[in-house]
Amino acid sequence: MKVYDGSRTDETAGTDPERVKVGIAEYEVTTDGAHLTTSGLGSCIGVGLVDAASGVAGLVHVMLPSAEEVDDDNPAKFADSGTELLVAEMERQGADVSSLRAKIAGGSDMLDFSDSGASIGARNADQVRETLGDHGIPIVGEDVGGDHGRSLRLEAATGDLVVKSANEPDRRL
Amino acid sequence: MRVDVQALGTLNQLAHEGAQAAARALGQMTGIDAAVEVTRISLVDRVEAGEELGDEPFVGVRFEFEGALSGETALVFDREGAADVVDALVPGDAADDRMARSSVEEVGNIMMSGFIDGWADFLGATIDHTPPEYIERRGAAVLPASETGAHDQIFVFRSEVECLGDPVSFYIYMLPAYDPLADLMADHAAGEDAIPIEKLEVFNRMTRRGTEKAAENVETMTGIETTAEVTRTSFCPIEDVPKQVGNDTYVGTVVEFTGTPSGFLLVLFDEPSAVTVAEALMPMAPEGEGLTDRHRSAIEELGNILSSGFVDGWANVLQQSIDHTPPRLVHDMGRAIVDPLAAQLGQHQRHAFTVDSTMRTEDVAFECGIHALPDERQLREALDELLVERAEETEADVERIFGS
Repeated sequence: MKVYDGSRTDETAGTDPERVKVGIAEYEVTTDGAHLTTSGLGSCIGVGLVDAASGVAGLVHVMLPSAEEVDDDNPAKFADSGTELLVAEMERQGADVSSLRAKIAGGSDMLDFSDSGASIGARNADQVRETLGDHGIPIVGEDVGGDHGRSLRLEAATGDLVVKSANEPDRRL
Repeated sequence: MRVDVQALGTLNQLAHEGAQAAARALGQMTGIDAAVEVTRISLVDRVEAGEELGDEPFVGVRFEFEGALSGETALVFDREGAADVVDALVPGDAADDRMARSSVEEVGNIMMSGFIDGWADFLGATIDHTPPEYIERRGAAVLPASETGAHDQIFVFRSEVECLGDPVSFYIYMLPAYDPLADLMADHAAGEDAIPIEKLEVFNRMTRRGTEKAAENVETMTGIETTAEVTRTSFCPIEDVPKQVGNDTYVGTVVEFTGTPSGFLLVLFDEPSAVTVAEALMPMAPEGEGLTDRHRSAIEELGNILSSGFVDGWANVLQQSIDHTPPRLVHDMGRAIVDPLAAQLGQHQRHAFTVDSTMRTEDVAFECGIHALPDERQLREALDELLVERAEETEADVERIFGS
């Protein structure tokens, strides 16, 4: 299913940006103004990073807070290692870490059945903030928490992060 | 055969990488940028393999392979997908039927060689295959007939590939023969925790009967004639679990169950089905459009009944005590509903078993999915203690438990 089909009319005629899908526990980096999309975030978080000067943008879809808690070999699955990985890959493709700006969305508390302590969504959000903080990357927009799912589109050319929900109006961060 | 979780994980990765090789081959030939969306290994009733393809027309290729692994495999495009592939190879309207067919054949052959070579490389062994056979059929008929034999349930490997910015999607199905798969599974097994296949089969049959009973309950309560379709137990990496559900908006209930095993159970309706079934439960249709609070509370009640039946049925066959929480009503994007549940299990496991059943009806828009996400280790423990002889007893017990 195509989540963002309706958006194409927003673009100037004939020059639709490429649309790149980012799956769960995956990341993508673009240097040519593509739209990076990811869908169905519940407690997962999407971290969008943009370096406006170099035109490098990236999006990672992380599932769990910390790689240290689970024996796994996919760093993009975790809030800490996934954010690190995205920063490193963007740097490799020409981004300047000191120019990076972050927008984050997701981390819902929906369907959290844990008896005690913070929900996975809240812990994911905390971890993303901490890791971004470690790199000195400011969060300039966020739509985090609540009890609903989200789908995201990071428009690399403008740095806008469009957040869609099933039962609420779209938000543009 | 003994089913080992580590071996399943390895085979899943192998099939996934094979499908990626096929997608790359497609890209090189046509410029169509394709990515493997999800690969899953399912245990299904032989006669139900491929039922998820519905009645849509498909074209593609299939062939037999033999060596370190033997069986049959098929690559199928839906009609639009095939047209796009043909257009990429023979632009414009020049392609006649014969040319279209040979384009699909050529692309399919090269893609599937990539798929099989990927397996052979990984296994460090040779796999030979027959020349591809062009197929043009509807629904499950595109799949090869699996070997007949002692087993009425078979493993089906399925990769779904989506082409970016294109409506093309295609599927790769692989139906391995029983004995070579059993050998391969044993070679890649980690240890003593393997599940005898017979126990998984009993579990699958049991879930199937539970779904049939649930369908009868829905029919009794709503008057909508409902049948149980496809029941399968699948295995995939935990991050692929949400992809088993579509990205449309669903309405339904989620419960957490605790015991051996613990886990989550979802009863999900697409929005039109939710409206249909909820109104069938009400004495009078409420005023207003779409889903009202009355619809939601009807769905909640139905979800509770179906969940209780399922969980009690499992507890009975597994001879375990399993409790569940009251249902939580959900109305959201399908994947976003499943994602927090997968994340909760993902704190302790890298792969997951999912148990999926579908109920539907011919007459009105009505489809209901029942999805269970058991804790992987606890499911193995429960199955370990399951006596296969109880398969005979389950029928009566299911009647008693679901039959109220």
